[in-house]
Amino acid sequence: MTMRNQVAVLMRKAPYGSVYTAEGFRSIMGVGVFEMDVRVIFIDDGVYALVKGQDPAGLDMKSLGDGFPMLPDFGITKFYVHDHSLAERGLTPDDLVMDVEEVDGNAVARLLAESGTVLPF
Amino acid sequence: MLYMVNKSPLMHKNLETCLRIAPSEEPILLYEDGVYAVAPGAKAESLVTKALQSHPIYALKADLEARGLQRCIEGVEVIDYDGFVALVEEHDVVPWL
Repeated sequence: MTMRNQVAVLMRKAPYGSVYTAEGFRSIMGVGVFEMDVRVIFIDDGVYALVKGQDPAGLDMKSLGDGFPMLPDFGITKFYVHDHSLAERGLTPDDLVMDVEEVDGNAVARLLAESGTVLPF
Repeated sequence: MLYMVNKSPLMHKNLETCLRIAPSEEPILLYEDGVYAVAPGAKAESLVTKALQSHPIYALKADLEARGLQRCIEGVEVIDYDGFVALVEEHDVVPWL
């Protein structure tokens, strides 16, 4: 059933190559402030946003990998990562900066179907 | 010619189509999201390994570090900004955007 106050934030882009990941992060913070039920889903190149050891000093940028683990302090606690997207990038949950729930494609579709709003990044 | 690719190999076909066109021995430079191609164990690994048999492949260090890519497929040469400038000085450039 669709819940009007549930928001799914769909993170599909790699960090640093575009503004999407940083803008997605800001949107998650914004939605969280209004105490809505936020689910953050990392899929496709979006899983790269959570890879450990990001150091963008050479690009004169801030590490996005440092930002996501701080979100639970702001009440955002539901994070999902698509298992197939991790696997095809040679990654495992141990390579990520935080604990996230690994889900398959059907579970991703279910999360999206349950949400009243999908914010795509 | 120096062929330059800046798109992720799992979301875009840029590297694949570039490699179809680039003549043997021509250098390939991976930068921005293009550097994800050199991650060992990812789906693009066989494409890069095969390409290394006929092309020198370079990856930009600052872009690797930003993305947390600590390991590279063997044979890929990691270059810094000075190396980037040297390559661009030495070759005419084909940006494969």
